[in-house]
Amino acid sequence: MSKSAEKDRNVRKKKTFTDYWEKYSTVAILVLMVVVFGILEPQAFMTGSNFIKIIEQSSITILLACGEFFAILLAGIDLSVGSILALSGVVTAKLMVDFGMPPALAVLIGTILLGILIGGVNGFLINVTGLPPFIITLGMQSILRGLTMIVSNARAVSGVPIQFTKCVGGRIFDLIPIPIIIVLITAGIFIFFTMKTQAGRNLYAVGGNQQAAWYAGINVKKHFLLAFMISGLCAGMAGMVNVARLAAAEPTAGTGYDTHAIAAVIIGGTSFFGGQGMIPKVVVGGLIIGVINNGLNMVGLSSYYQTIAMGVLIIAAVTLDRFFGSGNKR
Amino acid sequence: MEALVQMNHITKRFPGVVALQDITLDIMPGEVHVLLGENGAGKSTLMKILSGVYQPDEGEVIIGGKTYAKLTPREAKENGIAIIYQELSVINELSIMENVFLGALPARKKGGIGVVNYTQMREKARTLLDSVELKRDPGETVANLNISEKQMVEIAKTLALDAKVIVMDEPTSSLSEVEAGRLFKQIRQLKKEGKGIVYISHKLDEIMAIGDRVSVLKDGQYVGTYPVKESTVDGLVTLMVGRELKNKYQGGRTAGEAGEVIFEVKNLTRKDHTVQNASFFLRKGEVLGFSGLIGAGRSELMCAIYGISPIKEGEILLNGRKLHIRNPYDALKQGIGLVSENRRETGFFGNFTIKRNISIAKQLMQTKMGGLLGMIHVKEEQEIAEKAQKEMSIKCASLEQNITELSGGNQQKVILGKWLSAGVKLVIFDEPTKGIDVGTKSEIYKLMQDLAQKGIGVIVVSSEMPELLSVCDRIIVMNRGHIKGEFSIEEATEEKLMKAAIE
Repeated sequence: MSKSAEKDRNVRKKKTFTDYWEKYSTVAILVLMVVVFGILEPQAFMTGSNFIKIIEQSSITILLACGEFFAILLAGIDLSVGSILALSGVVTAKLMVDFGMPPALAVLIGTILLGILIGGVNGFLINVTGLPPFIITLGMQSILRGLTMIVSNARAVSGVPIQFTKCVGGRIFDLIPIPIIIVLITAGIFIFFTMKTQAGRNLYAVGGNQQAAWYAGINVKKHFLLAFMISGLCAGMAGMVNVARLAAAEPTAGTGYDTHAIAAVIIGGTSFFGGQGMIPKVVVGGLIIGVINNGLNMVGLSSYYQTIAMGVLIIAAVTLDRFFGSGNKR
Repeated sequence: MEALVQMNHITKRFPGVVALQDITLDIMPGEVHVLLGENGAGKSTLMKILSGVYQPDEGEVIIGGKTYAKLTPREAKENGIAIIYQELSVINELSIMENVFLGALPARKKGGIGVVNYTQMREKARTLLDSVELKRDPGETVANLNISEKQMVEIAKTLALDAKVIVMDEPTSSLSEVEAGRLFKQIRQLKKEGKGIVYISHKLDEIMAIGDRVSVLKDGQYVGTYPVKESTVDGLVTLMVGRELKNKYQGGRTAGEAGEVIFEVKNLTRKDHTVQNASFFLRKGEVLGFSGLIGAGRSELMCAIYGISPIKEGEILLNGRKLHIRNPYDALKQGIGLVSENRRETGFFGNFTIKRNISIAKQLMQTKMGGLLGMIHVKEEQEIAEKAQKEMSIKCASLEQNITELSGGNQQKVILGKWLSAGVKLVIFDEPTKGIDVGTKSEIYKLMQDLAQKGIGVIVVSSEMPELLSVCDRIIVMNRGHIKGEFSIEEATEEKLMKAAIE
């Protein structure tokens, strides 16, 4: 028997540590974090209400990360999600406060359409210029920050209608925060989209091998447009939730959130080289960041330490993935 | 007269293949020594050994009286061996003089720190540029030069290193006739200065014009060294290709049953003119081969048909219907599949399982808006993959395996299965057995013949002439972007194919 035939026969080996690592690493990190903080601060941290709070606090990061996931899936990146959050928040709030629009219409225009539009512009520019998404979205970040300041006159927009804050930022039965519901629905739709639709499959194909995707008849540019539109939409929704939770739109909101979103996606095991990753793990990645921030708070460390911890975690997660993940096989 | 370089009994093995076997070669001062052989005959490997990039498994290289069993790149350079590659290695962003003195810029001490001495560099470069008759300012950026001028910069570079042996790998492949004439003038000048030139080329007319001696390699074996004056074009062609077909495919042909024309290309010219005015047709039941040298326009023609590269003019007809192809999606939708030359880069998705690699094309064709609207049907996906696995006899433990775990031959079958599942009527194979072991090769040949018998069009582009001769019913030869000949399998021989390819 020839060597290659032997190779084909023997490939189904026993499950290795790599296989387990790939499946459960993200959840394992989350459990580890919870256990560590549970031991350090058993009373305040290990309570049901604190867990709900953590999830609520993580909702914005998770929403951003769900969108960011698609940019990274295409071996790209979206650095404009934090600034889209700020602009859509300010616009949505202004439409309600200054123009007296009903919240539903303001959300449709200022959140959904605006998010898709900005994401679409990102995708369009990437396709037309052929420049890396890094450059385009970095430029977009700066443009949107400036736009947000102009639109808001550099002042927070307050006086958001109470029905808006209740509907988007409130709690059902005074227990379950609505942002969590929004996150669950969004993540659910994306899980369905990535696993069951042809477009979702195509995104993995384009991310895995852009050339082969083109040869296989996939319109690569359309899918870049789609991915960045999704990213923009998610960022817009995160902006909406942010305004509802604070009952005001801060023009400086979302600063540094790009890093949070990227961190959640990467800690969630998504390959930076494209083509590999799953939405559920990204959600867990967002929760990990929430647990770290909440836990360090409880332990009494300042937010400066939280920033450091997140940096360490990003590097650690990718390093571990390099050694144990499937990426090192190729 | 003592040889500048003497290579004795060089043998080089790569895993599974003997690239060079017992090659002996000498290079005399003041001669142009031509190295001749087919694609893959071992010319490049031999030159890589001369420049120290590869170390031979057996044999020795003697330079200037000193014997090296394992020559290193540094030793080769110090001994005055320079190579000008086909893909020129000048750095476009730097100036001419910086390129000429790259790695050894003239320097002077300034306060104990070495700084580049631009005045001295400019003067030295001026002299060198004069000797290669390049009328450009030494400070000019290389990006502004044309190919011929860049080549002169490369030659000036070898002069700056005081090279004794200069290897030129297909130096005229992208030059016009006038520019080639200029290069030859320069080569004659180098000869007068006593340099040894190793000249690699397929163009026999050139070799006749410039060469002194010619050494022929064939499948890694040394055929012989002959004075150019006593050689003829026909004689050299026979020496290059005259071999028995060792790996001949024994499957039996479909010839004679060929029916009506199912695929036709009329007067196709590419926008970039790498293919000009190409016309050919394919009959039902036959396997059509494309032969020619690398860069003759074969892959370029197939890419144009498949919608990867734009067409300036020309018609493509499949089963009598005129096709409108602007991209691979159009090609696939209208029934053409391309098994591309480079599996890893353009053929499969390394992040997908075997199943997903097979099903993607069929599913894409079933959905709307180019795949943006439509669902994955899990059950159907499984069925598509299982059917392809059976038909192609893909050897794998599970369809859920990652495709990168398969051997090259099985990967190729997966790619073929992808197109056939999508219901293509024509499959174009571009170098289908590159890097595939002998056993799987004949399986792939068998698949091709089966397809042809089922009435699916099969086109094969290959640089291996024995492969074409054993699997095809008809062979078309391309040469410099044009279709230069067509042979039925009965009349085709390696000599005829090679002659049409290099004329």
